[in-house]
Amino acid sequence: MKNIFITTAIILTILIFTSCETDVTNDITLEDSDPRLVINGGLERNTITPLTTQRLQLTTTASFLSTGELPFVSDASVTITDGSNSWVFTHSNDGFYENSEIIPELGKTYTITINWNGEIYEGVDSLTEVPQFDNFYFEYEEETLVNDAGYFVKFDTTDPINIPNFYYYRLFKNDEFIIVPDPGTRDVLIVSDEFFDGRQRIGVNPNDEVAFDIGDVGKAQQLSISEPYFDFLTELFTQTGNIGNPIIGNPPPASIRGNLINLSNPNNRALGYFYTVDVEEDTITITEN
Amino acid sequence: MTKRLLFLLFLFSLGTFAQEKSTISGYVKDNSSGEKLLGVNIIIDNSIGTSTNDYGFYSVNIEKGTHQIEISYLGYKTIQKEILIDGNQKIDFSLSEELAELDEIVISSNKTKKKIESTEMSVISLQGETIKKMPAILGEPDVLKSLQLLPGVSSVNEASSGFNVRGGTVDQNLILLDDATIYNASHLFGFFSVFNSDAIKNAKLYKGGIPSTYGGRLSSVLDIKQKEGNVKKFGGNIGIGLISAKALIEGPILKGNNEEAPGSFMLAGRRSYIDLFSFLLEDFKDSSLFFYDFNLKANYDLNKNNRLFLSGYFGRDKFELDGLLGTTWGNTSASLRWTSVLSEKLFLQTSAIFSNYEYNLDNLRTGSEFRWKSSIINYNIKPKLSWFINNNHTLKTGIDVTYYKFKPGKISSLNGSSINEEEFSDKFGLENGLYVDLKQKISNKISLQYGLRWSNFNRLGNEEIRQYETGAPLTYNPEQDIYEENEVIGTTNYSSGDIIKSFNGLEPRLSARYLLNESNSFKLSYNRMYQYLHLISNTTSPTPLDVWSPSGPHIKPQYSDQLALGYFKSFKDGKYDLSLETYYKKLNDVTDFIDGADLLFTEEIETQIAQGNGRSYGLEVQLSKNEGKLTGWLSYTLAKSETKVLGINNNEYYPSNSDQLHELNLVGFYKLNKRWDFGFNFIFGSGRPVTYPTGRYEQNGLVVADYNNRNGNRLPAYHRLDFSATLHPKKGKNGKWVFSLVNVYNRQNAASIYFNEVSEIGDREIATGMTQATKLSFFGIVPSISYEFKF
Repeated sequence: MKNIFITTAIILTILIFTSCETDVTNDITLEDSDPRLVINGGLERNTITPLTTQRLQLTTTASFLSTGELPFVSDASVTITDGSNSWVFTHSNDGFYENSEIIPELGKTYTITINWNGEIYEGVDSLTEVPQFDNFYFEYEEETLVNDAGYFVKFDTTDPINIPNFYYYRLFKNDEFIIVPDPGTRDVLIVSDEFFDGRQRIGVNPNDEVAFDIGDVGKAQQLSISEPYFDFLTELFTQTGNIGNPIIGNPPPASIRGNLINLSNPNNRALGYFYTVDVEEDTITITEN
Repeated sequence: MTKRLLFLLFLFSLGTFAQEKSTISGYVKDNSSGEKLLGVNIIIDNSIGTSTNDYGFYSVNIEKGTHQIEISYLGYKTIQKEILIDGNQKIDFSLSEELAELDEIVISSNKTKKKIESTEMSVISLQGETIKKMPAILGEPDVLKSLQLLPGVSSVNEASSGFNVRGGTVDQNLILLDDATIYNASHLFGFFSVFNSDAIKNAKLYKGGIPSTYGGRLSSVLDIKQKEGNVKKFGGNIGIGLISAKALIEGPILKGNNEEAPGSFMLAGRRSYIDLFSFLLEDFKDSSLFFYDFNLKANYDLNKNNRLFLSGYFGRDKFELDGLLGTTWGNTSASLRWTSVLSEKLFLQTSAIFSNYEYNLDNLRTGSEFRWKSSIINYNIKPKLSWFINNNHTLKTGIDVTYYKFKPGKISSLNGSSINEEEFSDKFGLENGLYVDLKQKISNKISLQYGLRWSNFNRLGNEEIRQYETGAPLTYNPEQDIYEENEVIGTTNYSSGDIIKSFNGLEPRLSARYLLNESNSFKLSYNRMYQYLHLISNTTSPTPLDVWSPSGPHIKPQYSDQLALGYFKSFKDGKYDLSLETYYKKLNDVTDFIDGADLLFTEEIETQIAQGNGRSYGLEVQLSKNEGKLTGWLSYTLAKSETKVLGINNNEYYPSNSDQLHELNLVGFYKLNKRWDFGFNFIFGSGRPVTYPTGRYEQNGLVVADYNNRNGNRLPAYHRLDFSATLHPKKGKNGKWVFSLVNVYNRQNAASIYFNEVSEIGDREIATGMTQATKLSFFGIVPSISYEFKF
């Protein structure tokens, strides 16, 4: 919400002043910290198109303005347990670790253990059920201040009453996952049911920055996420959506804390979040009405 | 007990000294408008000096007989007069403005004498007229921008709400408009302040040495007085600038056939009109964007000794983007004041004040429309008694009672959307202050002003307070360097009127002046301040949507100590003066949000903040030229300000957002002839803090920056040159033109440098995996023109 405010504030500055942005990428020298371990991924329960293999990626950090891929971590040992069973994830390529036997289950809490460079990291998340789409459709919308004209994928969905729910939306256009690092992301891609507990919501747009044309195939996913992961994503989207405009302020940049704890050396924190999510999804082809 | 008795005896003895002499007292007024003048110097026989108080009243003791009296005031002709005193007498004086036709500004040495001789230090006083002469962005003169051209006052960038004083944060400034607290002084997100320069008579900023008559904020007091209006005739002015149009009318109340009416009024209004051009941009045609404000002041003399004042302010900013978002925010204040001259030596003023700040935030996206509303309301009553005991002693004492009602937030459905209405519980507080302040002249060389303020804050019911497992909402985990939220184990219900938590603070204040000779003095000041309200902001510079929160079971009050030392010198008969001040300020229990805090729509604010300490120190030098065709000042500040909060920046001190090592200001006014005068200023500031990333990683398809030290890097230096020219009307004409050119050499000063992922390829918005650093500047060269018509 506040970010919509920032966006509009920027529009306002441009209106009043000759506000100006200059690319200074080549004028800046950064001091880098020692590389940290990063986890990118988690477990996904998807009953619509079940995953045959669960996979996640391990890398380290690189200098911010450097180009190229992040350095992969291929020599870690990765294990996930639900308290009674455990699964070993083996490295396939490019830092990806895979397991084809694990089937994520509702209500379970999963713990990941990563042993790398002589240090042990551990992270926990739990899996909660996602409500289904009541309706899945598309609608044509005229151009607005922030969005292009076009067809938008929409759905209706009913929030389960008396349970705190947290949602994350993913949108795919012709099978390509689309996410835009801008301030709007935080307001659109994640939401808590704080203000609509137990209600049906009509016409939810999973990503109003993505317009479709006739013939395109749209796929949307509604993910049920845990509260700590919601907090993590809130901060992630706040920081990645930072477009620097201090006109009404922007949050001071800070390291985003994930859920991996370094048991051997707590100061050498790992970054990223090991998540467990339940996925509802549907696909639609945009046609002429 | 004995101490108290001694104090009473001391006061009694002061009273007895005075009996041999006569007291003259009265008001000093402006000759053409009849408006009372504050801070006017009154010097008798070149030795005894005093000045008028905030209501233009003075009182002085002299022996019976003939005396030379000199009344002087900046911008006015000095009066020198011989008076015969044969008992207690009431004498009013009228000063005439120095004629505008005069080619240069003339200053008598007595006008600068006050800077040397007063015990006041770290004080900036600006007249409404001076503010209007400075070059202004888009031709809109602004008191807060003008103050930032003086040493020790700055802001994080050109578009931040409010200002920073000596390394303090924005919420540590007490901003008073005719005694009413203004909670947010910004229009248009901080580009302009809520103060219409036409309606301002005088603005006084205390950066240090704050007298005990003020309290409630740590770093400064900005006391703004509105114009009272002309008691002799109706008049007004209309101004048209690039950004706004304004009008002011003033005149007498119940004048009858008298030369001076018993009362007068002033009413001013202003509205910005950038939005009127929005139809030019197709995208914005259904949007609105403007601010407006009204200032009102009226006063009426009930009789010779009793006056009533009514003043008010109402202002709103509104902007709405169709189908997306709407927001409205603003202050409302009203104060009713009664001043009474009880005797030649006793002056009583009593104010009853209402003040309110509120904002609405409307989400207008289809399907999820809602309105968020938040406000802070206070009722304040403050009687203050001034006792002019004798020429060497003036005592002020009073009480200050404020009742607060905080409405942190209410969410309601708009256009029938499926939103559950919810209201965060209201919070209540009662703040009390009791103070004495004594000005004492010990000898010709030594003068003191000292006092004590007792402040007390009670968080009141009706409210439900959470109890946390370990007593505190958060526990810091040093191993992982994070705050962990503690379990809520229960709640305690307090009913209306119950005291939930009470705090007390003793605030000693002292200023001392040692006069080396007529033109050289040393000054020293110390003050302790308590602050019970906190503006919780998780942004670099505050926004209109930040929430004020009272101290209570889970948030401690903040307090500060400041020590300042100064040297003051005037030379060439007061033509020039020099001031040199150094200070050290320690701030305790200041609030900062913890990393990753989400403050908007958060009810349990205590789970999002941590409290820490701050320190700032610096040196401020100012050389002023007060007389001649060219007047102005050159100032230099060397300063450092740092904050330390557990869990931020590896638990070490980090530079505050407003930290700036060097700052140089050159401000000049040049009077060419009867019709033209010019203003210019040059600002140089070394780079403010910024945080650069120390690493990059990926998450959910986005590139994320990692950071290590808060504010560990610096922006490039800031500098800018501005010009203004004023064309005064020919004799008999009334129109005035003001031209200004801000940022003459078009420097793109960095308001921020930020790092992010490139979010577009061609026209397509998408995460690209590429990173960039971008500098944002608010404006290049800005020319403007405005026209003012007086009638």
